[in-house]
Amino acid sequence: MKAIIHLVEYDFRNFFRYKWWLAGLISMNLADLLIMAVVYNQMLSPEITELIRSYISFFAPGVTVVGLFASAFMIGREINMEVRRQIHHYMLSLPITRLELAVGRLLAGGLRGMMYMTPLLLTTFIIVGFPTPLQLLIILGALFLLATGIAGVSIAIAVSISSFEKFITARGLIYYLLFFCSSIFYPLTLIQKLGQEGIMPQPFVTLAELNPLSNCANLIRAFLLGNPPFTLDMIRNLIVFSAVFVGTATVAYMKIIQRK
Amino acid sequence: MPIIHTIGLTKRFEDVVAVDKLNLSIDEGEIFGLLGPNGAGKTTTVLMLSTVIKPTQGTAKVGNHDVRTNPDAVRKLIGICFQEPKLMWVSTPWDVLNWHAKVCGLSTSERKHRVKSMLTEVNMWEHRRKRIHGLSGGMKKRVEVAKILIQRPKIAFIDEPTSQIDVVGKHKIWDMIRELRDDGSTIILATNELYEADVLSNRVGIMHKGRMLVCDTPKKLKDSILGGDIVEVQLEKAADNHVLDELKGLEEVVEIVKIRPDDLRVHLNKVEKVVPKIVNLFLNAKLSISSIRMSEPSLDDVFVHYTGLTIEEAEKKSKTK
Ligand SMILES: Nc1ncnc2c1ncn2[C@@H]1O[C@H](COP(=O)(O)OP(=O)(O)OP(=O)(O)O)[C@@H](O)[C@H]1O
Ligand SMILES: [Mg+2]
Repeated sequence: MKAIIHLVEYDFRNFFRYKWWLAGLISMNLADLLIMAVVYNQMLSPEITELIRSYISFFAPGVTVVGLFASAFMIGREINMEVRRQIHHYMLSLPITRLELAVGRLLAGGLRGMMYMTPLLLTTFIIVGFPTPLQLLIILGALFLLATGIAGVSIAIAVSISSFEKFITARGLIYYLLFFCSSIFYPLTLIQKLGQEGIMPQPFVTLAELNPLSNCANLIRAFLLGNPPFTLDMIRNLIVFSAVFVGTATVAYMKIIQRK
Repeated sequence: MPIIHTIGLTKRFEDVVAVDKLNLSIDEGEIFGLLGPNGAGKTTTVLMLSTVIKPTQGTAKVGNHDVRTNPDAVRKLIGICFQEPKLMWVSTPWDVLNWHAKVCGLSTSERKHRVKSMLTEVNMWEHRRKRIHGLSGGMKKRVEVAKILIQRPKIAFIDEPTSQIDVVGKHKIWDMIRELRDDGSTIILATNELYEADVLSNRVGIMHKGRMLVCDTPKKLKDSILGGDIVEVQLEKAADNHVLDELKGLEEVVEIVKIRPDDLRVHLNKVEKVVPKIVNLFLNAKLSISSIRMSEPSLDDVFVHYTGLTIEEAEKKSKTK
C-alpha cells in the first residue's frame, strides 16, 4: 500500500515538472471554449439551440472530458519513454510487487487526469450551474472511472509498442476515433440521425453510443442541463470500460515490461 | 551456506546466449568481482539475480529465495547500482535519492541524514537541485552509486561503479564499497577494470561468452599462472652456463630469458620465496648484482591466460561479432 502511494508521488512529481506546459494547455482548452461559445452559437440552427440551450453550456462538459482524456493519457507517454530508456529496469528492481507497481502507475495516471480536469470542471459549473452534492459525487466518480480507464488504455499501448513514433501514431488514432465518434462536440441524437440517414456508417454510431467520453460528458449534461436524460447505462458503460482497460493494462504492464 | 547460488542459469536473447548455464556460489559478506570482456554476460547475470529479467533456463537462489518463484522476497534484500544510470532526465539528484530512500523503506530522519551525507560524499551536494539532463556522465554515475550507498541493501549488485569517474572519485567510491561490505552487505561487483576487481574483491570470477571460466581469490588466480612472476637481474658481468644451469635447477623457475649476457629475465612462481635463493646463488658464484626487479602477475595476466585473448582482443572480437 505504501509502495502505491510512493509511486503516485513519483508520477505526480513528474507531472508537475510540466506545470507551465500544463497551464498552457488548460488555458488553450478554456480559450477553445470561449471561441466556440461566441462563434458557434451564432451558427447553430434554432432547433438545435432549443435542444442544448447554448453551445457553450453544451460544450463545457465536453471540454472537461477532453482535458481529462489528454492528461490521463500522458502516463502512457512517460511509461513508453521509461521502457525505451530501460529506466523500467530500475522500477522492476525496487522492493515493490509487480501488482503494486501496475496499480500505482494506473492510479497515478488517473489521479493526474482528475487534477488537470478540476479547473475545467469548475469553469463548467460556473457557466452551466452547480450540481447537488449527490450529483457532484456521481460526476466525480464517473470522471475517475473514465480517467483510470484512459490511463489503462495508454499504459497498455505504451508497453505493447516500443517505438515512440508508433506510440504517438496510436495515440492520434485513438484521439480522433474517440473524439469524432462522440457527443463531445455535437449531441448524440445528431449522430444517430446521421446514422439513420445513412451518412454516418453504423459502427461509428455504435462507437459514439458506447464511447466512455460520450457517456461521461452526457452524464454531466444530464445533471446540469437536464438533457440528454440520465440513464444508468451511462454509468454501466463507464464501469465496463474502466474495468476492461484497467485489467488489460495491469496484466500488460506486469507481463510485458519484464520481457524488455 | 552461500547467499547466492545459481543453478544452470541461462539467458538467451533471440540468437545470442548471453549467459550460458552459469553455476556460481557467492558467500555472505564477500565482495565478489564479476569480470569479463564486453558482452561476457555480467550485466545480464546481475539483472537475472535481481529479478529484473527472467532466466530462459535454470534458476538462482538469492538469500534462500528462488528468483523465479519468489521474486518479491528477493527484491526486499537487494539493490542495484546500474551500469547505465537509470534516472528520469527531468528529475534532480536530490529528488531521485530521496524518493529511492523512501521506497526502500528508510525512516524520515534516517533518510534525510543519509541522502545529505551521501550526496556530500560523492561530491554532488552542490549539484543536488540541477536537472539530471544537465549533469555530466560522471555526475550521473555518482548519483547512481549514491542510490545503493543510501539504501545499504543486504545484497548489493554494483555494475561498473567507476566507469566515467575520475581518479579521486574512484578511490572514494572503492572505500565506500568496502565500508558497505564491512557493514555486513554482500557485494557483487561487475566490472571491466581488472585493477578495481583486484583491490576490492575477496574472490573474482572471470566470465567469457556467458560462461564462468575460473573463480577464486585474486591471489590464488595469480599464483595459478605458471611462471607468472618475473624477476629481472642485472649483473656486473656475464653469467656463465654453470650458474644458469644451477638457476634453472630451482624448482620454482620456469624459464630464463637472456636479454644480454649480464641481463637475465627469470619467469618463475612464488617470487617472494625464490628471490633470496637467487641472490645467494649469484653471490656464491662471485657474481655481484647491480640491480634486481620483481613483478607479480596482475589480473590482466590471469585474464589473458584464461580467456586466451588480451582484453583488447576479446573486446574487439565481441564487437565485430
Ligand atoms: N536486451 C537485450 N536484447 C538482446 N541482446 C542483449 C540484451 N541485453 C544483452 N544482450 C546481449 O547479451 C550479451 C551479454 O550482454 P551483457 O550486457 O550482459 O554484457 P556485459 O558483460 O555486461 O558487457 P559490458 O562489459 O559491455 O557491460 C551481449 O552479447 C549483448 O548483446
Ligand atoms: Mg555490463
